[in-house]
Order: sequence, then C-alpha cells, then structure tokens
Amino acid sequence: MSEHDDRLVRCFASVFPMMNEEEIRASNVVPLFDLDSLAGVTLVTLIDQEFGINVELSGLLELGSFEAISQFVRKQNPFEVTRE
Amino acid sequence: MNLLRALELLKQPVAEPASDRELFLACGFTPLHLKTFLAAHLRHRLPNDRIKIGIGLYGDLVGSLERLTPSRGMVVCVLVEWGDLDPRLGIRSLGGWRSADTIDIVESARRQSERLADLVKQLAEKAPVYVSAPTLPLPPMFTTRGGQANHYECELREITASLATSLSAHKRVRLLSSQLLDELSPLARRFDVKAEITTGFPYSLEHASTLAELLAGLIQDSPPKKGLITDLDDTLWAGILGEIGADRIAWDMAGHAHMHGLYQQFLGSLASSGVLLAVASKNDPALVEQAMARNDMILSKESLFPIEAHWKPKSESVGRILETWNIGAADVVFIDDSPMEVAEVHAAFPEMECIVFPKGNYQVIWDLLKRLRNCFGKEVVSSEDLIRLNSIRTGSTLRSSAQNGGSSIDDFLVKAEAVITLYFGSDASDDRAFELVNKTNQFNLNGKRYSESDWISFFQDPAAFLLTASYEDKYGPLGKIAVVMGKTFGRKVHVSTWVMSCRAFSRRIEHHCLKYLFEKLDAEEIVFEYKSTPRNGPIRDFFAELLGEANGPAPSVHRASFDANVPVLSHHIVEVANV
Repeated sequence: MSEHDDRLVRCFASVFPMMNEEEIRASNVVPLFDLDSLAGVTLVTLIDQEFGINVELSGLLELGSFEAISQFVRKQNPFEVTRE
Repeated sequence: MNLLRALELLKQPVAEPASDRELFLACGFTPLHLKTFLAAHLRHRLPNDRIKIGIGLYGDLVGSLERLTPSRGMVVCVLVEWGDLDPRLGIRSLGGWRSADTIDIVESARRQSERLADLVKQLAEKAPVYVSAPTLPLPPMFTTRGGQANHYECELREITASLATSLSAHKRVRLLSSQLLDELSPLARRFDVKAEITTGFPYSLEHASTLAELLAGLIQDSPPKKGLITDLDDTLWAGILGEIGADRIAWDMAGHAHMHGLYQQFLGSLASSGVLLAVASKNDPALVEQAMARNDMILSKESLFPIEAHWKPKSESVGRILETWNIGAADVVFIDDSPMEVAEVHAAFPEMECIVFPKGNYQVIWDLLKRLRNCFGKEVVSSEDLIRLNSIRTGSTLRSSAQNGGSSIDDFLVKAEAVITLYFGSDASDDRAFELVNKTNQFNLNGKRYSESDWISFFQDPAAFLLTASYEDKYGPLGKIAVVMGKTFGRKVHVSTWVMSCRAFSRRIEHHCLKYLFEKLDAEEIVFEYKSTPRNGPIRDFFAELLGEANGPAPSVHRASFDANVPVLSHHIVEVANV
C-alpha cells in the first residue's frame, strides 16, 4: 500500500462513485469506460492533476486494470514514500 | 477548487431540507468539467439545493437556445465563445484563416451575435439568464504580428462588446464581469488546446473552476448590505482632528491624503445608491461640526446620518445608529482605523462586518473599495433608494417629537395628510417588490426569500396576486414600502409573503393592506403562512394586537373580526389596479 494507491483510489472513487475501495482495486477500466465515455476523460484529467502525469486515454485503456495503472503511476513518480 | 475536490463535494448528500434547482448550461463546446465545477460551486454556496444541470447540443449554441423551453424555476447559463460566433474562430474547424476569409468571418460573427442577443432576451422573459461573453484568446489568424492589434480583431471585439452592452441592459440578464474574470484567471492560462482538440472542452481546469465560481456567485445573488458606519480621524480624513484642528485635516494630494479623498468619493457613490452612511467617532462634537462644515469635503455632510461624535464606547454609538436606521447588525459594515475599536465593536455585534481602515497603504485601500463595492452592489438604484436617508431622518425627528410629549398616532396620521397608493395585479417585473421581499427582516411574515426564477414561477399561477403599497405624507415620500403576495381560493385568501419596510412602521399601512384585500378580492377570510424568525417580532406583535390570544401558528383573520378591530384609518387611498 502506498500514498500513491490511496490517491489513485480517491480519483477512481470520484469518477465511479458507486464502487467501494475493494471493487476499485480489483477493477479494470475498459468495461467501465465502455459504460461511461466521459469517465475516461475525467480519470485522465484527475491523474494529470493529482500526479502531474500526462497520460492519454488510449494509454489508460492499454493498462486496463487498477493495479497496472497504479504501477504506471508509481513508475512515473518513484520517490513517493510507501505507507507502513 | 480542483476537479477531485469538486467531484468529492458532489458525492456528499444535499443538506436537508433540500429543494430542487434546475439549471440549463448552454454552450457550444463540450461542458465536461465546467459542468462539474458549476455544480460543485453551487453546492458549496447553496448546500440545500439539489441541482440538476441540463445541457444543449455540441456546436449548436443558437439551436440549444432556440429549442429551450425553461421549466418553472429554471435558471439558464449561456457561455459564448468565439467559435459560437463563427466556427472558423475556433480551432476544431478548418474552414480557413486566409486573409480573404476574415471579412466574411467578421460579418458572420456580427449576424450570429445579433441572433444570440435576441434569443437571450427572449429567454430572459421566462427565466433568469446568466451570460459569459467570450473568455478565450482569439486564434492567431490575423495578418499583423502578435504585438499589433489587427483591425478585424478589433471589429470582433467590438461585436462582443456590443453583445455584452446590449445584454447587460436587460433586467433579467446578468452578465459576468470580464474585468473580475481577467483579474482571477489570466488570459494566457485559460485555453487548453489539447483538451479542445481531443475532447471539445476548451478550458484549462483552473479557468473552468474560476468561471464556474463566478457564475455560481451570480446565481446565488446574496442581498447587499444596507449601511456603513465610518470613523473620522485617519479614516474619512487624514489626521487627528483634536490634535491638528479642522483646518489641517486632509483628504487631498497636497496633504498626502488622496486615498482618504478617494474613500470619501466612494462613500458618496454608495450614498447616491441608497446605502445608509453614519459616523461613529471618538471626538469633540463641536470640532466635528467645524470639520464637516469645510466646503471642500468630497462627501457631503448631508449624506451622513446620524453622526455619533463623543467619547463614549464605539459600540454604544453603533447601537444607537442601528436603532435609528432600524436595521440589523448583519446588514452593516463598520470601518475604523483602530484595530482595538474594530475589535470592541465586533465583540458587541458579532454579525457585523468590521474592517480596519488600512491608513497609509494605497493598494490595500484600493482593495477595500473593491471589497465594499462587492458588499453593497445592487442591480438597480430605485426611487426608494434615493429617498431612504431622508425618510429615516424625518422618522427620527417624529419619534423624538412623540417621545417629548408630542401628539398621539391618530393625531399624527391626520395631520400628516398621508396618502397610500395601492398597486394590485400579478406583474412579476416589479423590481422594487422583489427587492423588498428579499431584504426585509422585521415586518416579514416568514422570512421567505425568492430566487428570480421562483419569483417568475409564482406569478405564472392565475390565482396569484401581488399587492404593493407606497406612502407619502407632508414630511415627504417613503416610496414603495409594502408587499403582500398570495393566492386566492374562492373567498379565502392565502398570504404567503408579506413584508413592510421598517421606515413605514406606525403608519397603519399594514391595516390598509388587509382592508384592501378583503374588499378587492371580496374575501371572507385571510390565512397567513406565518413562521417565527429571530427578527420578525414586529409582525408577531401586529398579529397579537389584531388577533389577540387566538393568534396561532397559522393565523387567519375573518372579515367581520377585522372590521370590528381595525383602528381608525384616516389616510387618503389611491388605487392602481391590474398592474
């Protein structure tokens, strides 16, 4: 668990308010974006705003799962402190 | 507010008791995050409103406005950008930026702007409309270098300036201040080219949030403050009167005191729009009289009433001023250069906005003037605004006379040669009635306030009526001072709103209003939607006097009972019906 993960969960939770944290961590964005086209654009914007990472919507779709997106974010910001 | 905060705010439940508010966001671009920010800023300002935002079609602002039929209570926001005037002024259209195209673009923009103005004005007849003129930079399509303004660029700006001028003159259109937006959102940081190309949303997040915040502020439309109490030494003028004398206090450049002159000029502007001004100063009253008699004062002495100049605590002075004005502390701003005096007054009147005058600091005084304009800003200056101070001055004199063994109220009313003019109808465009209902606290049936859209909706019901009253006697006019709103159900009248200005107390205007309703509507009973508020004691007292102990939570009065209890009404009545 890291601060990164918590912040990413907040981003997901604000875009998909019906999902709880457990569902978010197990989620894949591809079917979610199929259901709500604006959600993808909003999540891309939130990741840019929260982490300063400029990712394309197509990039998020390629990454797919929350875990893969989380790893991508950690890679872009490697100095984030891991939470105990 | 950032986007995450906005989304999280919108996840919070609406505070109870909640009411629905419908808003239509008309723009030619994808509203995307602007819609989120607008909803969030409105939630922040109006926590009891369940806000539903509808949107139009992408790329068709004019069509969206043409198709819109506002529902009851709806407000409309119209955000115009350059691409709405001609798609070639946006960057998603590749219709051509050749120099030969420019004349055609300008002409097309002019026609579209006129069309937009007409549509917005038509809509404003049915719902309040909030408009933002183009906020984004024009594209680099002109033949001159960036540092040089091109003739056609100027023509385009003239077109949008004309659009803004035309719309701002309409009473139900609120135009967003481009000057304030310029201050808060720098032009260079507004346009997000990538977002515009990839999603059709042209604003940076920062700009979208600022724009939404300003629009939400316009929609919230909080009532203006009513009075300002100012100190004198080192505030209204530079210098300590008791130390240097009336001749040497200053408010001009020669005395290195120009900002005090500017402050006086600003107060004069407030006074001319009906804001009450008074003085609370620890000073020798004779010296203050001398200083006020100087004929180079920028602010007229007549604009200040009352003037409390003595050595007693400032909170005592402020208390007496509030009593004379008959308004609450929350409606007043107090200004003094001494932080200690400001603290003393604030401790006595916590609801009052108390500000330290930043003497010697040019920039902060400038900012203070802008802050004050925000406190006292109003839509229109009515004829009542122009006579308010005079009627308070007269009322104060009459009260003093009565306290000093003067005549009874009956004698006074007979001798005053009072004339009440009653206006009856269902005209929602009565701005003074709308203003009175939304700012009166004391003689107020239930404290209910109306948004513009609620106001318009109320009078769309055929059963609804609006009765207003203006008053004049030999001491001068009070203007329009009472409003009764309600609906008729056969011979029963349901009054949902009743307010009367505190300047009109003790003149039996309230009795005349009821008498008129009984007669005009051939009513048998009038039922009042009464609710006690912390400040509506005067109307509670009126009911107690008229109805006695039977006065319950939903008081009503029958015609026979009213006729038996009504006191002598000696006024001359003028009726203006069907307005």
